[in-house]
Amino acid sequence: MTTATAQLPKSTKPVSLVTRWKRSTWIPRVLFPITILLFWQVGMQVIRRIWPFAVDVLPTPMEVVDMMWGEIINPFVEGKQAITRENLYLTFGRSLLRLGSGFVIAMVIGTIIGLAMGLSKAVDAFFHDWVMALLAMPALAWALFTGLIFGMGNRSPIVTVVLTGIPFVIVNVREGVRNTPRELFDMANAFKVPRNRATRHVLIPSLMPFFFAAIRYAFSIGWKGLVIAEVFSGQDGAGWTIKFYYDAHRAHGIIGYAFFFVIFALLLEKLVFEKISNRVFKWRPKTTDVALVEALFDGPDDAASATAAAQI
Amino acid sequence: MVAATDPDIQHTTEEQVAQQARRKELVQRWFWRILGYIFFLGVWEYGSGRILEEALLPGPTRIIKTFGELWAGGKMLDAFQATTFRIAVGFGLSFIIGLFIGLISQNRWWEAFFRDATLISLTAPGLIWALITAIIFGNRIAGPIITIVLTTFALVSVNVYEGVKSLPKDLVDMGKAFRVDVIGRNRHIVLPHLAPYLFTGVRFGFSIAWKVTVLTEIFSSGRGIGFEMRTSSQLFQMDEFLTWILAFFLFALFLEKVVLQAFENRYFRWRQGVAAT
Repeated sequence: MTTATAQLPKSTKPVSLVTRWKRSTWIPRVLFPITILLFWQVGMQVIRRIWPFAVDVLPTPMEVVDMMWGEIINPFVEGKQAITRENLYLTFGRSLLRLGSGFVIAMVIGTIIGLAMGLSKAVDAFFHDWVMALLAMPALAWALFTGLIFGMGNRSPIVTVVLTGIPFVIVNVREGVRNTPRELFDMANAFKVPRNRATRHVLIPSLMPFFFAAIRYAFSIGWKGLVIAEVFSGQDGAGWTIKFYYDAHRAHGIIGYAFFFVIFALLLEKLVFEKISNRVFKWRPKTTDVALVEALFDGPDDAASATAAAQI
Repeated sequence: MVAATDPDIQHTTEEQVAQQARRKELVQRWFWRILGYIFFLGVWEYGSGRILEEALLPGPTRIIKTFGELWAGGKMLDAFQATTFRIAVGFGLSFIIGLFIGLISQNRWWEAFFRDATLISLTAPGLIWALITAIIFGNRIAGPIITIVLTTFALVSVNVYEGVKSLPKDLVDMGKAFRVDVIGRNRHIVLPHLAPYLFTGVRFGFSIAWKVTVLTEIFSSGRGIGFEMRTSSQLFQMDEFLTWILAFFLFALFLEKVVLQAFENRYFRWRQGVAAT
């Protein structure tokens, strides 16, 4: 409301083209990719002149777009094949299946341990240091380790997803249990609300935002861990395909698959998680869980390592 | 006399009770904590050679022994040196770039310009950058450094930007009213205000930087912790491999908890209560 009234007198003044240019935010947003593409193209030309042997190593933007378009369209064209053994959809389907199964296991075990840690101080002391160690462990270490133990196949990526995702679930669920409002429980007791109804209407709703934070983190980290595991010990899947292009020394393939990878993660986030969380949090006035995660991670040490591990 | 000492006695006993309860809780906490260590290390030690072959899962005692051997051989210091150098150069550069982008993001135009760059840097996995730079630069030092910069600058810039947004306007106005010059204003108002944000950015960025560094070393390097990890995993020497992971872990813990914390405490000496967080 206040912003609207504050803007009124401004809008009556005629705005010059330069100020409009300065104020708009979509122009620079569009300008950014254009600048990057320009730099990319010009840089390529310059490097081709002064460093001739790098020609086939550095891909042009067109090559990348071509490769991506080919990957998308080729499975549906008669007589054309993907360069790799399996096409894009099969590859991502496989990875998604692994991610899904690892994720479910991590959620179930993580929730149980997290609940126990939130409810009992003894259990918390028992697990605490080991959960922190798991949080700080890079996915890379798990990927190599499980690859050596389980060999090629499905098991190594799935176990990597479980091990990288589980500490985030535990930390978030524990935090959620600790943050349940005591007063509400006391009130439920005072009004003689039966225990299962109190659980249903007090504990679960107050746990939900933390649960969602857990799901998001476990998913995005599990996804990155999965790809690293597939790079080292996969015979198929997104990570294996990226490694395939790396071994073939085709940088445009890597960049193309990286784009697929990022697009896929963003789509999953926007189309699946946001929809679900909107539905679950319909009853709440207005707190996006993003803000909640940030508030959570403003806090103590767990935070730093959590966000950090989220990256790789 | 009695009346005068009476409240004192009451006071001490109450405190004693509280202290006793606290001590009991502490003892209990440590008891469970140690039990946790015994349990997990015990499972690990028992598992090696019984559940999994010892070649696949060497126990903790074996790893400590290997650690001592590698340390004595001088291999470890060499690897640490290489990795630390890469992190220092890469993260130093990343910090400068991130600070610069964060500061110019005060302007809405530049903020919008760099918004997608930040998003890409935060979402694209380090693996991709590691592979691309490995192809382009080979074993040159530029690969790991560019990878570190690309994965971590956004964390610094986002934090600086948050700090700039919450600058205390009244203090800046007061500085202006009392004719404090630009340098003084930045030195005494802006910088102390930004410091906690900068430290957060550094802490987050740093903990990513070392993981990414090791990842790049796996693909394109002849020295460093990542290289040693790859070599030992390819030779199927699980004891050495796990030892390198342990070393890497201890090293990161040391840098984060001791070095960074010392800096932070030193910087925030003038502010009570902040240093602890």
